Amino acid sequence: MFALNSDKDLVDKAIKNGDIYAAAAVYSIAKCEQREVLEGIMFAKRRDALALARWEHTPAEVLNALSIKNNSDVGIVLRLDKNQNTPALAISTLYGLENGQVKRNTSFTVLIAQHRHTPINVLEAIVKFVDDIEVLKAVSKNPVANAQVLGLLLNRVAHSSVYEAVAKNVAANPSASADLLSAIYSYADYSQADDCQAGSSLRVAVLKHENCPQFLIRLAEFNVADAAIEIQRQLVKDSRLSLQALASLVASQDKVLRTGLAANLAAPKMLIKQLLKDESPLVRRAVAARADLTVSSIKYLISDKDHWVRQWLARNPAVSRKVLEKLSADPHADVRRAVARNSRCTNALLSELAKDEDAWVRAAVAYQKNATKRLLEALAEDADIDVLSGVANNPHTPQRILLKLISSLEADIRRGVILNRKAQRKTLLSLLEDSYYLHRLMLVNSTVLKDSDKWPLCDDPDFQVRFTAYQYFAKKYQTFTKNI
Amino acid sequence: MSTILVIAEHRRNELRPVSLELISAAQGLKKNADDKVVVAVIGSQTESFVPALSVAGVDELILLKAPVTDFDPDIFEAAVSALITSKTPTVVLLPHSVDSLGYAATLASKAGYGFATDVFIVEYQADELVATRGGYNQKVNVEVDFPGKATVVMTIRASVFKVLEGTASPIITNFDLPAVQSRSQNKEFIELGGGNDVDITTVEFIMSIGRGIGEETNVEQFRELAETAGATLCCSRPIADAGWLPKSRQVGQSGKVVGSCKLYVALGISGSIQHMAGMKHVPTIVAVNTDPGASIFTIAKYGIVADIFDMEEELNSQLAA
Repeated sequence: MFALNSDKDLVDKAIKNGDIYAAAAVYSIAKCEQREVLEGIMFAKRRDALALARWEHTPAEVLNALSIKNNSDVGIVLRLDKNQNTPALAISTLYGLENGQVKRNTSFTVLIAQHRHTPINVLEAIVKFVDDIEVLKAVSKNPVANAQVLGLLLNRVAHSSVYEAVAKNVAANPSASADLLSAIYSYADYSQADDCQAGSSLRVAVLKHENCPQFLIRLAEFNVADAAIEIQRQLVKDSRLSLQALASLVASQDKVLRTGLAANLAAPKMLIKQLLKDESPLVRRAVAARADLTVSSIKYLISDKDHWVRQWLARNPAVSRKVLEKLSADPHADVRRAVARNSRCTNALLSELAKDEDAWVRAAVAYQKNATKRLLEALAEDADIDVLSGVANNPHTPQRILLKLISSLEADIRRGVILNRKAQRKTLLSLLEDSYYLHRLMLVNSTVLKDSDKWPLCDDPDFQVRFTAYQYFAKKYQTFTKNI
Repeated sequence: MSTILVIAEHRRNELRPVSLELISAAQGLKKNADDKVVVAVIGSQTESFVPALSVAGVDELILLKAPVTDFDPDIFEAAVSALITSKTPTVVLLPHSVDSLGYAATLASKAGYGFATDVFIVEYQADELVATRGGYNQKVNVEVDFPGKATVVMTIRASVFKVLEGTASPIITNFDLPAVQSRSQNKEFIELGGGNDVDITTVEFIMSIGRGIGEETNVEQFRELAETAGATLCCSRPIADAGWLPKSRQVGQSGKVVGSCKLYVALGISGSIQHMAGMKHVPTIVAVNTDPGASIFTIAKYGIVADIFDMEEELNSQLAA
């Protein structure tokens, strides 16, 4: 019976239950004295505390409490370090600054250096005070590290043997600023005489970065004809490269380079026309995927001997319905499937493809958001699991079909109904007792089921379902409290 | 002279490859020249398996005529029990499969035989039979011995023992199935996943994609890459649920266990417990993920913190060269 009047009732129920996962789910809404009781349930046994410290779904508040209560337990600290949910506050508690130094300097520091919730001041302290190279490398890869921390790091390792490795990571870090990238590029130019390969890979990393300044692209393209192949391959993909530079690379012997050029949206039609007839299917595939294909190019590619070329063409939203019609009769099933997945595919064409001999093509129709009720009704008679999963998933499928599909022996098909955003309450009700725990778990967050429907899931035999159900009700109370 | 008894496994009248692997494992357990490897096959058309089971290392092939074409736990338990009584083998090897799980434990328990499951090393250490299996969720290897047990039943993990080459002419005998009342019946055979697609439980090299793939169009790039690399493209549950790859390609608790896989490249897969249940046993796992804290790295032999699209581009460049 669903009869809770307050958040306190929910917490009391979790306390009465005595289950660590229920306790973890309601911890954030518990009052002070209730929290103590919940902590007793969760942390009394070390085994339970270890399990919660490691579990990927443990709420941040619980992890935070663990970092305060159990910070001398090495096993728990290690699991907290590894847990990606561990909040910044817990990391500060464990690794914050104390008298200008990092509190801990252990082998775990590498885990904190790479953690996505590590506060910036902790990362800065690590860069300043930790000597371990692996830890510094971990900071260089952490996208949370800002340009200032990355700059500090580069200064810290300047003139050392690890500079190149750190600089390469920084060049790949999305937080790297244009200034840092310029500095790394200059270093790469300077060091090229010593190690050509290393210099090239550093410059490639810089040129690839979305913050790479325009002047570096111009600088690189100045020598593009003589540049290392890795640099050429990177430059040719850049839409900022001049047309002149692009044209100078079209005759390259390197098919990977030509593939990059064919995919470059800034490449002029003249070059694309040339690449259309390239001997390498890799290049032609890249051309076939372009959104700006001309009618004559499409006409040429439609009968390409490589089925991947035809498949990319069939997926291309730029092709006309007439082209799709022609490709729908392709001998290769993957091409026909690509037609069925194309958003421009007409109902008439979908109807034809729904009768395809290949089940994977019919499944593409069943998943197609443009499929009509009538088409889905016909596909519901199919025996193939992928087709029926698509029908179950499709928001246009009539409820009476969905009601039939929920009694399928195949869990995948029943799950399709749960994933259907148009599935109604009466359709989903019986799935609340589905034999597969994942299905019950997914239903906790259903928007059409009532709270009274979900309430029994708080006593589900599976701990993950119980946790999710308790967490759902805890969040509801939290939102309600915030609103008042 | 001692006897090592191997129970061959078949499904829908096709011999399962693990049967030949068991013969290889049995061969390694011969201590003396006169020790015998005896292979038994149970079913309604046992003769059809004679050519496939007449392979190097088999001394005797026993055919047990049973009133069922496919596996039946009661019949198999009664048949193997009678065989053990008759042949008194020191070791009985069964595949670690869903069939064996249906009767091996009761067989061993009822007669008090030594018993170990999912064994991947079996050997004699100073005359003591020792089986090695995983423990604590495959985190440690556990050695199991069987003091005082004259007969030990083991289920052997598939794809561990290399099949011996060459043929043989074993003695072929018939064995009468004891009277047994089966409590179950096979109503229908349902092949999980798409029937015409590749069986991912039998392939050795898998590339697998997860949520990191982003959108459906990107799947095609990885299909191309897998095709060029000679891999089979598989996926985690969300990809199959979205209809981007067939259900038959789904690895994990909701999908399949990739029993024969030797190399598994996980691309953009975070590594939920459910997914890892289908692939954590693979000897070489390569994980690529931008998140260094992704769970998949805890079981990977090689971990690469990188964008899967950069990786795809690099692999394509290398393969194209």
